[in-house]
Amino acid sequence: MIFWVWVFGIIYVGLLIFASLKSYKKGRTAEEFMMAGSNVGLILGVLTFAAALFSTFTFLGMPDFFRINGVGAWIFLAVSDGAMVFLILWFGYHIRMRVGKKEFRGVSGLLSSCYGNKWAGYVFFLSAFLFLIPYVGIQIQGIAIFMNAAFPDSLPAWGWSAAIVFIMLVYSEIGGLKAIIFSDAIQGLLLLVVIWIIGSFCLSHFGGIAPMFERVGEIKEGLLSTPGPEGLLTPQFLFASFIVILMIPITQPQFTTRIVVMKSMKTMHLMAVSLGAFAILVILPTIFIGMYGVDKYTNVGRDEFFANAFLHDQPNFVAALAIIGLIAAGLSTTNAQIFALGSELRGLLKGDEKTIMLKTKIGIFIFSLIALCFSVIVIDQLVLLARVSFTGTALMAPMVCLGILSKRKVSPAIIVLSFLGLVIFLLSLAGIVPSVLAGIRIDLILFFTLSLSAVVIYFLGKEEKQVIPMQNN
Amino acid sequence: MKRKKYWKICCGLAILLSLITFSPLIIPQGVHEPILMGVPYTLWTSFIITVLLVILTYIGTIVHPGVHKEEKDL
Repeated sequence: MIFWVWVFGIIYVGLLIFASLKSYKKGRTAEEFMMAGSNVGLILGVLTFAAALFSTFTFLGMPDFFRINGVGAWIFLAVSDGAMVFLILWFGYHIRMRVGKKEFRGVSGLLSSCYGNKWAGYVFFLSAFLFLIPYVGIQIQGIAIFMNAAFPDSLPAWGWSAAIVFIMLVYSEIGGLKAIIFSDAIQGLLLLVVIWIIGSFCLSHFGGIAPMFERVGEIKEGLLSTPGPEGLLTPQFLFASFIVILMIPITQPQFTTRIVVMKSMKTMHLMAVSLGAFAILVILPTIFIGMYGVDKYTNVGRDEFFANAFLHDQPNFVAALAIIGLIAAGLSTTNAQIFALGSELRGLLKGDEKTIMLKTKIGIFIFSLIALCFSVIVIDQLVLLARVSFTGTALMAPMVCLGILSKRKVSPAIIVLSFLGLVIFLLSLAGIVPSVLAGIRIDLILFFTLSLSAVVIYFLGKEEKQVIPMQNN
Repeated sequence: MKRKKYWKICCGLAILLSLITFSPLIIPQGVHEPILMGVPYTLWTSFIITVLLVILTYIGTIVHPGVHKEEKDL
């Protein structure tokens, strides 16, 4: 296997270097560095969005989620993604019209400008920081665990994590968002190919789809329906998860940025459709891997299942591809998130562009170090931590939508309410506030309370004259 | 005008499809029949819903009232 890891590793690193150098341009502007010149075409757009969306959460987390909770996991992610791509049409149109000719400096900057209140940007940035960093950390950790299983006694887990963060910083520093988008394209394709090779192997173990479910039914019938053997996938859990995944393009800055930097509205629309098809293609083989785990590794822990299903049971070159594919999946998502946090920080800074860029790059470096620390200390299930991350950022959706959609002068009360919602959600995670009230999950209560408040605030707002967008010189 | 109407129909259908996913019609608790080509009920129905949502997205790209607006404005 080591031979194949070297072969694929060298090809992969070579492609990353090529992407960075191709994107490097002497004397580039800050806009070119941070926003890739806002001129991303269809294929690159689909692949970068997909690579940022489908991470170790999909590659490792979803097979494990299917293995433990059964077929309802499809609704958890695939149906939610199907609805999300439809929402991109609607939200993408509004945010692109709102940004207009102005330079897009992140959602935080845009919100500060929409509300005429810098605190809107600060609250949004706070939620992105609080909920993206742990998610980045656990992804880095996922890769490190996997590398440790593949190469025991070579490097400690934190050593792998540090190496990943180092690679990420180097290529984003050289090429900026454009390099990230190019490398995302490579990584998106790699992820799709690898997940299908492993998925096909797992399906062939059963001899087809029908025998696969027949066998799974014999082992644990509860896996064939909801709520699954653990009782997790209740209608309420699935609905709450649906809402938070639906809100991803609105509230996670790495996706909002990708919507805005698409070349045109039409390209953005076609990107949404292609992303939907891509989502089905990527999630489908994770069912086969999960069901394979049910048959062969039903009572083992997560790490043992990963090591066996992805490495030990595969031919050497497939196991090597899995290692590279996993690194690609994790690296593209973490990079997109860290870089997006940098863009958000940039939108909040004032001063001359050179100083702002320096502070932004220092910010990206610090965010990476904090994520690295988290990767060493955080222990949780990939999918459930990802869900918490999506929930935390989703609470900002009413504030974002009100700011972007409203042409009225609205009260800043939604900023205060969103901040309070964030605090209550954090307290519920810490166990200080109950996570369920009157049988309803607190995240659902908070989301609908904030949405209702946004509607009321909108109707209480004053009509404003149409503001002509500022010319960007 | 027609575009706006079709777009609204698409939005309505997307909301309807999303909502029925969480009803007993798609997720009857503890029930995995009727099976279609060996696939349990909840999986094949929710798979169809996912595909329909992507098809609706494609139709949405055609009927969206603002598809050419940005180019005109810019």
